[in-house]
Amino acid sequence: MQSAEEDCNAEVDPLAALLNDSVPKRRERIDRDGTYQAKGAFLRYNLLCNHFDQRQAHGVFETAGRLPSPAELTVWERQEDTEMDYGDLLAVFKPRHFCSVPPVGQGHTIFALSSGRGKCGVAVIRVSGPASAFCLCQLTRMKQGLPPPRTAVLHSISDPNSGELLDRGLLLWFPGSLPGLRPAEAGEFTRRAFQAGKLDLTEVEGLGDLIHAETEAQRRQALRQMAGDLGHLYQTWSHTLTRALAHLEAFIDFSEEENIEDGVLNQVDNFVRQLQMEIHSHLHDNRRGERLRSGVHVVIAGEANAGKSSLLNAICQRPAAIVSPIAGTTRDVVETALDIGGFPVLLSDTAGLRDTHDIIEKEGVRRTRERLEQADLTVALLDVVGLLEASNKLTHLLFSFLEDLNVRQKQQCILVLNKIDLLHKKELNDLHCALKKEEDLPTVCWLSCKTGSGIEEFLRVLRAELEILCGNPLLGMPSLTQARHRSHLHKCLEALGLYEYYKRADMALAAEGLRSALASLGRITGKVGAEEILNLIFRDFCIGK
Amino acid sequence: MLPRRFCHCHRARLQFLSTRLIGQNVSGDQYDVIVVGGGHAGTEAAAAAARGGAQTLLVTQKLSTIGTLSCNPSFGGIGKGHLVREVDALDGLCGRLCDQTGIHFKVLNRSKGPAVWGLRAQVDRLLYRSAMQREVCATALLNVREASVEDLMVEDPDASRPGLARVTGVRLGDGAIVLGRAVILTTGTFLSGSLKFGTSSVPGGRLGEAPSVGLSLSLSELGFTKGRLKTGTPPRIRKESVNFDKLEVHHGDERPVPFSFMNAEVAIEPSQQLLCHLTYTTPGVEDVVRDTLAANDHVQQDTKGPRSLHLAVRPSRAQYRYCPSIESKVLRFPGRAHQVWLEPEGLNSELIYPQGLSMTMPVEAQVALLRHIPGLEAADIAAAGYGVQYDYLDPRQLHPTLETRKVQGLFMAGQINGTTGYEEAAAQGIVAGINAFLHTRSLPPFTISRTEGYIGVLIDDLTSLGVTEPYRMFTSRAEFRTILRPDNADQRLTERAYHQTGCISGARVVTARHIASRLSEGISLLKSLCLSSYRWKQLLPEVGISQERSGHMR
Repeated sequence: MQSAEEDCNAEVDPLAALLNDSVPKRRERIDRDGTYQAKGAFLRYNLLCNHFDQRQAHGVFETAGRLPSPAELTVWERQEDTEMDYGDLLAVFKPRHFCSVPPVGQGHTIFALSSGRGKCGVAVIRVSGPASAFCLCQLTRMKQGLPPPRTAVLHSISDPNSGELLDRGLLLWFPGSLPGLRPAEAGEFTRRAFQAGKLDLTEVEGLGDLIHAETEAQRRQALRQMAGDLGHLYQTWSHTLTRALAHLEAFIDFSEEENIEDGVLNQVDNFVRQLQMEIHSHLHDNRRGERLRSGVHVVIAGEANAGKSSLLNAICQRPAAIVSPIAGTTRDVVETALDIGGFPVLLSDTAGLRDTHDIIEKEGVRRTRERLEQADLTVALLDVVGLLEASNKLTHLLFSFLEDLNVRQKQQCILVLNKIDLLHKKELNDLHCALKKEEDLPTVCWLSCKTGSGIEEFLRVLRAELEILCGNPLLGMPSLTQARHRSHLHKCLEALGLYEYYKRADMALAAEGLRSALASLGRITGKVGAEEILNLIFRDFCIGK
Repeated sequence: MLPRRFCHCHRARLQFLSTRLIGQNVSGDQYDVIVVGGGHAGTEAAAAAARGGAQTLLVTQKLSTIGTLSCNPSFGGIGKGHLVREVDALDGLCGRLCDQTGIHFKVLNRSKGPAVWGLRAQVDRLLYRSAMQREVCATALLNVREASVEDLMVEDPDASRPGLARVTGVRLGDGAIVLGRAVILTTGTFLSGSLKFGTSSVPGGRLGEAPSVGLSLSLSELGFTKGRLKTGTPPRIRKESVNFDKLEVHHGDERPVPFSFMNAEVAIEPSQQLLCHLTYTTPGVEDVVRDTLAANDHVQQDTKGPRSLHLAVRPSRAQYRYCPSIESKVLRFPGRAHQVWLEPEGLNSELIYPQGLSMTMPVEAQVALLRHIPGLEAADIAAAGYGVQYDYLDPRQLHPTLETRKVQGLFMAGQINGTTGYEEAAAQGIVAGINAFLHTRSLPPFTISRTEGYIGVLIDDLTSLGVTEPYRMFTSRAEFRTILRPDNADQRLTERAYHQTGCISGARVVTARHIASRLSEGISLLKSLCLSSYRWKQLLPEVGISQERSGHMR
């Protein structure tokens, strides 16, 4: 069961498995080069794709059972400089790739430990493939044959050779029309589901995300995606586009010899315009879904010795960063991953921003600025005592401070005034009043990391901000969760633009725009159908001999 | 009856066969390539093999039917025109012969971009057939023999190549054996063909011609998977009985564009060319179809689902996606006016071909139906429309060279592979002919990929996906449509075919090279012109050049 244990530990990455299967030689090569990373699907396929050369592409085609033609290689080369992904690979292989793959259900029987590894009372072992039934009989030595399908049966499980009792367990048997056994590769069950058309690529991604979900909101989003909401949205678009393309193709192929109704082209125009609008608004979601999936970057920044590290420690409730009264204690970025109100947060404590001659601290400040560039949410921290001292030019001071922190929108920032324990009540009240007048300021939190007062309120504000940033994964349109989706949707929009550009001048080129738009959409879900288009043509139009 | 046919796994049989061979009179009848069938696939295949230098024999049931247009008197169209151009680029016959015999030329899709222009021509049936017969007779190394082919002769396979057997020749109807190193079957609809008129059914491949039953059996015995397909043809109408006065007239192009790269113009003067007319069906047509449905077996199978026909191994679909007959059209899309093109059959022909009216109902009903079509109210039927059902071989049993995977040296081309249309047949014929010749010389095969031509798309679709309905070419099938234009077929194919096959004449390649050099001259001339966008706008006011980046030299 050695290999099975490895499997259950490995991430579910069916697409990589797909690659592994079609590109065995390539994987070895990358392993030897040492560039292959066992973790991180995205990294993996980027690596695979970026290291692709023509010779290796040959290898892929050879394993796919045919040699590439020069034009296919050109396509390959062209895609090489752009970002290539599984969908692209699928697109290159389709539909012939799947022709050479034996139908699902034939070939090997695979098994794996499906529950987590470690000492535990209950474990799930999954066997799938044509020899499953034989395997079940051997392990259980049932006299009456197989147990009733889809019914849990308590039975002893013994070694088929020695007959030694291994364990007792529940058997569940889902018969298929499906007779060697080998351990499943990482994600192989999922890959089979994908190939059988039970899951599309977004659902597979959702499953991966679900397995890796660390917070409640991530889980909800992943579950929704796995249930097919996102895939369904893209499928809907894909259908609209297929229909538009079918109509355009029908117009090209048949309008002069057969009856094609007038207004077909107007319909295509309408389809395309509507699609452009929908994709556009889907893209302008402020990266909600991606943030929720990969974590919200929250950066605590401010002047030296304002109490940034103390705030970090207060939030994580442990001494994650060193704190001291000496200005410039924190010189590097200290990062902690947190679950705040169900949202995944990558909280960074940074070096205080000040002019310094210390080269280490200088580097720290540079890193701080870099972090601020990437921040989804900035927690701008100020020493309230310093504020009191500069009370006459308070506004100017605050805004230049925020500007220094690269805060362009007040929604992306929480202004935190620390060390309120050092002020008298009256001084605090005066400051309160002074700041209330300023409408352009971000949300202000008053707290003291030392006494802990105001921390609760700050966390409440932070949670509210996170909710805005990530959105409620259960409401509204499903969010786009991966940069991959975004890039393909952009390509899709670009291609639709080509259609608009060419539609009056050259219909074949306009149709090419729709074809590549459809391919881009198909790459998100992994479904690209060419025969579909002809089917639609013949369903909608009467084409004679 | 001679002993039963050879079965490839039987060693004893093999020995028996060789004794049988020696016993028979072989009498020097030995060829490199034997082509069975004289249709569009057969003639292209035979001519291509002979051009390469193979001693070629074309066997056909009737010499006089070589080059017959069994159905519509036209060539080309959208997608199909691309095929004709590609066949011509491979030095095929059909493009040149159409230019000689065309009586109405038109480029379709002029407004939709050069990649999808559809070259199309009505041709004179008789002229085309005699031109083809002349061409076949004039081709060196190409012999013709009138006979039916009853059986295929096979032997142990060449162990160095895949396959279960190797073809050695054919046995003719009179028992004579002709030896050949490669055999190309282009039997069209003749494999166990049957013609359907209403409820009656007659064995036949074409009107008045017997089907090929023996060959169909011997293919089954060799283990080929077959299916059954059907097609149909419309009634032919006497020209003088048609009232053209109220019909829409369609003229050909003023300057006809020839199919062949070798021709600068077509043979028949544009002023001598004929007109086409367009009319539409009326609701009365629908009534006739519905009323006669009971007497229409061919169409009933469409609507009731497949009948179990002998040897139909693959479940055929209840309906083809594009309508084979007027019956299916009005049943599937009721309440519409369907187009009927009235096409001339030839310069001196008394017949009109009503494109779009293929039908299988009883003759009386056909007459009644025509009464409901404007212009055809008094139409006189010269030959009734009928349906054809025939065996095809699952084309997934073929290599991309169109050689069968099972039997070495046996090639298939045309309708036998489940396609429809002259152009699709010719395209397969020429590829099979070239590869049969290469096979006899043990040279590497010549194939065309999907990226290089519609022929590649056609053969790849057939050999990897198979067919469920007669396969017809559309431009939407081509992924690389924008570069597979009809105008660059010679630049895509001629030079490569010349170097790899030897089936291309010298004159052909000289022409292609000449065009190529003219093209590159033109391109370098255009590239050498570099003006500001302001100047461009002055020179070409109608183009609409943006001046946003003025000053930029382009």
